[in-house]
Amino acid sequence: MPQQGTAVAIEGLEVGYGRTPVLDGIDLAIEPGSFVALLGASGCGKTTLLRSIAGFIEPRAGRILIGGRDVTGTGPERRGTAMMFQSYALWPHMSVARNIGYGLKLRGWPRADIARRVDEILALVEMSGFGGRSVTTLSGGQRQRVALGRALAVHPPVLLLDEPLSNLDAKIRLTMRHEIRALQRRIGFTAIHVTHDQEEAMVMADRLVILEAGRIVQDGRPEDVYRRPNSPTVASFLGADNVIEAEARRDGTDLVLILAGGIRARIAGTPSVEGPCLLHFRANAVTLAAREGRGDCLAIPGRIEQSSYPGGRYRYQVGTPVGRFFVDDAYRLDDGATVTIAIPAPSLHVFARPLPGVPATRAA
Amino acid sequence: MDRERPSLAGFLLVAPALAMVGALFLYPLGYSLSAAFTGPDGRPTLAHFGKAFELYSGDILFTIFIVVVSTAATAAVAIAIAGILVLGRPGRAVALLGWLYRFPLFIPFIVAGQCMRTFLAKNGLMNNSLVALGLIDPGQGASLLDWRGIVITFVWKQVPFVTLLLAGAMAALDRATIDAARNLGAGRVRTLFDVVLPQVMPNLTVALTLSFVTMLSVLSVPMMVAGSQPTMLTVDMAFRINAYGDYATANALGVLSYAMTAAAAFLYLRHGLRTGVLR
Repeated sequence: MPQQGTAVAIEGLEVGYGRTPVLDGIDLAIEPGSFVALLGASGCGKTTLLRSIAGFIEPRAGRILIGGRDVTGTGPERRGTAMMFQSYALWPHMSVARNIGYGLKLRGWPRADIARRVDEILALVEMSGFGGRSVTTLSGGQRQRVALGRALAVHPPVLLLDEPLSNLDAKIRLTMRHEIRALQRRIGFTAIHVTHDQEEAMVMADRLVILEAGRIVQDGRPEDVYRRPNSPTVASFLGADNVIEAEARRDGTDLVLILAGGIRARIAGTPSVEGPCLLHFRANAVTLAAREGRGDCLAIPGRIEQSSYPGGRYRYQVGTPVGRFFVDDAYRLDDGATVTIAIPAPSLHVFARPLPGVPATRAA
Repeated sequence: MDRERPSLAGFLLVAPALAMVGALFLYPLGYSLSAAFTGPDGRPTLAHFGKAFELYSGDILFTIFIVVVSTAATAAVAIAIAGILVLGRPGRAVALLGWLYRFPLFIPFIVAGQCMRTFLAKNGLMNNSLVALGLIDPGQGASLLDWRGIVITFVWKQVPFVTLLLAGAMAALDRATIDAARNLGAGRVRTLFDVVLPQVMPNLTVALTLSFVTMLSVLSVPMMVAGSQPTMLTVDMAFRINAYGDYATANALGVLSYAMTAAAAFLYLRHGLRTGVLR
């Protein structure tokens, strides 16, 4: 039965452990039925934010609203959210069916209704026939399906996911991603997903919220955040971790980039950065050419130092006068070969280089 | 597969320990067991048990009653304290409780008995305090120096031990299993009984079994707190030996204590096998 998720709003949330601030003024409005990924490096506060929404952590300041109701002072048992945990958190002394039915038992459902709903849920998570099994006999993937079923059994308006896929092996992780996403679309609950896996966040969510040091640094559709990271840290976190130091000069509508060793490039239509800057690019956004690249791209000459084949494309470590970069290419090249890294202008993320004590931002 | 034969060196290594156990435990145990069933003429007899039942059947029931009630009360208090420590809102009160509850662990039974004597007597500290607080009239205070005194002393002394094992086991649980229950709508008490306690049941059973056996063997507390009849079997055994040199009846009473301990051990083992803890 399709149902509507509820909205979650976070206003000026501040959380700290002892004297250390962990969340530093978070404002976030989540639309009903959306799938939001909280993404960030470990220690950025994403799990703390999720646990605050669940009610396990009391904030120092700010408000949390679920479905328009202020739940800031409400205990976790009265918030109506359901949560999935990294460690599955199934109760080992209960069977699969009792794990799934526990939330309904707490809500005073009659036994027959619980049994019917448990069967329905077992079918939903493709675990029919497992109801009588002890959860300790299940594999990791099966356990997380039961945990998903347990969370969904209570018709939660909001599902909170605390890195539930990170303990699973790669293949099952990929399947579970799509299953959770499909169920969320079908049932329509609001989902808030904490992860440090950029790809997982992009595949599952329709909105990325990136945290750094207890603050939201970027928030938007996955494609937008991926294509236009607004700070060097977001760029690096989303895979654009090849970094070049450069000097930018404006020339009419064009930007002239001057790199060490006399390398220059003229790019049109990029943001107006002046002075010292950082250029970020992704390994898979460039091409390797044996000769000078075309116009409107930054061409850096170099030599292949090391190569590997992770599958699909070759990965090269290329040494250049301005640093050492990782670059992917479809063709096999020998170690020691002379190449040119051609970075197309749209794939080049240009940020003003931070002066000491001043945080880096993308120039508007 | 080629198994290594048990070597002489290995046997020599454990021999001293084996000898100690044999000389100091197995031999006296076997001796007192056989003495309980042997008459003065050296022939097997149940006469000592007849005498023990004739003189002390009331005390046998009293002992079982005291130990069972104390174990149950110890379990209730220990579950409450461990539950508060693990599920309570962290704060100063919980921290203080966590520090305070261990205190009786470091006090010997005899000192505990002495303290309770002055605390629970008719004109003891407890009644005097209640009078001073105006809660009871000066004449109203009753002495608790009977079975209630023994139970209170045992519970006071054993709660820290059981709580220590229980709170330790609870703290070692995957915290997420507790969070998951709270998240789905279980309050703290519900979480304690539905999710936390079932997971630490083996630890609770071990702690309570050990506690049961300890209380069964304490002499000082029943002697100091409730000197008169009825009393516990330990006091009767000491009396048979000290007053009459009657080892035979004392041994028969000892065998009855073994039987009670064995019953507790049986319940523990059966629970262990059923829940798979010992498999």
